[in-house]
Amino acid sequence: MNSLALDLHPPARRRRTLAWFPLAALSPSLMVLSAFFALPMGMMIGMSFTQTETFSPTLEHYQRFFTDGLSIAGFCRTALMSLLVAVSVTVLGYPVAYFLARATTRWRAVVFALALAPELAGVVLRTYGWLIILEDRGFINDLLLHLGVISSPLPLSKNLFAVVVGLTHVVLPFGILSLMTSIQGIDPNLERAAQMLGASRLAVIRTIVLPLSVPGIVSSMLIAFTMAASAYATPALLGGAGFKVLATMIYEQVLFYIDWPFASVMAMALLLMMLGISFVGVRYESRRRSRASVSSGGER
Amino acid sequence: MGAKCLLASLCLAFSGFGSGTAGAETLIINSYGGPYEDIIRERIIGPFEKRFGIDVVYDAVGSAQQDYAKIKATQGRPGFDLVVMTASQSLQGCKDGLLEQLTPSSIPNLNALQGELAAVAGACGAVHEVQYLSLLYRTDKLASQPSSWSALLEPELNKRVILPTFQNIMAVYLLEMMSVTNGGDLIDNVDPGFDAMAKISAQSVGFEQSSAILESYLREGSVWAMPFWNGRAQLMVDEGLPVDYISPKEGTIPLVATLNIPVGAANKDAARKFIDFFLEKSSQEAWVAGYRVGSARGDITVPDELKDRQLTAGPDGDRLHLPDLLRLQEKLPEWAERWERDVVPNAR
Repeated sequence: MNSLALDLHPPARRRRTLAWFPLAALSPSLMVLSAFFALPMGMMIGMSFTQTETFSPTLEHYQRFFTDGLSIAGFCRTALMSLLVAVSVTVLGYPVAYFLARATTRWRAVVFALALAPELAGVVLRTYGWLIILEDRGFINDLLLHLGVISSPLPLSKNLFAVVVGLTHVVLPFGILSLMTSIQGIDPNLERAAQMLGASRLAVIRTIVLPLSVPGIVSSMLIAFTMAASAYATPALLGGAGFKVLATMIYEQVLFYIDWPFASVMAMALLLMMLGISFVGVRYESRRRSRASVSSGGER
Repeated sequence: MGAKCLLASLCLAFSGFGSGTAGAETLIINSYGGPYEDIIRERIIGPFEKRFGIDVVYDAVGSAQQDYAKIKATQGRPGFDLVVMTASQSLQGCKDGLLEQLTPSSIPNLNALQGELAAVAGACGAVHEVQYLSLLYRTDKLASQPSSWSALLEPELNKRVILPTFQNIMAVYLLEMMSVTNGGDLIDNVDPGFDAMAKISAQSVGFEQSSAILESYLREGSVWAMPFWNGRAQLMVDEGLPVDYISPKEGTIPLVATLNIPVGAANKDAARKFIDFFLEKSSQEAWVAGYRVGSARGDITVPDELKDRQLTAGPDGDRLHLPDLLRLQEKLPEWAERWERDVVPNAR
């Protein structure tokens, strides 16, 4: 009884300690984030508004971004590529995630290991693997040419298709993990009850599992989109010279043309794209939740 | 007693470390990998270490332009003492105050370089090697030896040409030479060059950035012609591959390679010793014979098989086009946009 009274009304000194504790616990990570994220980010934003020679404030780099044609094309290409990767990852990852969330057999461990296996090899290694498979002189074209199915190589590499395939492979494990966590949170008794009441397996998935796993789907789409949008190695290797996305364009501006203010503008555009898509996803999810809570409250 | 023993051991250990590092001076060199690294280690670095007792740490990460970006980002303190770049970065680095000025008082062998070529690199670069853009081709595939840059437009080479990306300076020089070949010039009127490059792009199999990857297409025979540095082309000829290279009749542009010292380098004296050693007559002869390139020294003995294939500033002056590299650097962003718009989409 005494101890309960102490817990409910701690002395002032202890209250102060408790109030400071979360801040103290956060301070190392806050310091690291300030030094290595917020500060460089601030410098990048400042640089994007700075004239290269005179260091005076300017909007010329933003004007160039919107008028040169290539930058906006790169922005749109990045958005399209990331969207396709997000959809591919979620569609391909969903069945695997569902199996992993529900299976109890020993195959679960095998499938789980296979789903995460791509992460054991580096991104560059995996991308070169796809290059060997997809390029003009690669495995698929060689095989089809050898079989006489085609007379000249199919354009499987150095384009959007190749990059989406490569990035889907890279990001898929993250999508699967995100979806699996969400599906595991759905009470399996709901599915059993629906089946006992005569719903088919497909109807159960469509009307119960899919709607309840929307948070996982949103999260998988967001993870895949942001990872794809910021990827460099895969678009650079599989996209070739004709498929430039913002990440590869930033790399060129930084290292080859040494035009850091313009690279900063591109980085800002990429950042805003990712923040925008994250905002849309989070907003959609919170509105969906509030609608769900209103409707369940009404039923009660 | 235990604490005293521990203190004494620590003192001994640290004094040992100190004497070790002070005894052997270290020079960190940033340069290229691949065959370049093997040859420079064997013919230049090994003998240098032996003569001066200086340990060389070789860092093969990054192209010349990437190295310069690192120098700029660190305000001249990139972590290496000496870097191999080209005349473009030398001039830019000198202008930006990021590279050390090199003088004959500390590097006497600078006086032995041919004035015209040495001047290309400006006050901060020591020219240790000269190559030129050549036209490399498969001798077993082409009906006859090409003689002009226009050969890249021949129908015979449809889908048999590979091009460097614009981030590889080879592409810029090829654009300039196509411009000269078609009535334009090196800097101010490159419209004919872009028109020609758009046509070459249409009959190319695409673009690659790395010289090693470009080379692989020709090695396996899927591509029959491409622009390439003559030194590396000569290495392929020496290997016995069915390839050869020419300096086309319209002339070519040299790649002037330089040794540079960043202003914030920790071991500038050792770097200066290395540059002087590399520019010595015997070192230049060893380098030319090993890497199959040209030298800015006019007094060296060149192997017979290379004599007729090299271009030098004096006798071959009319065939070597020397663009204003600082103006070229300023034009690059504009040309890069135009390349992406007018040239790249024509491939495939």
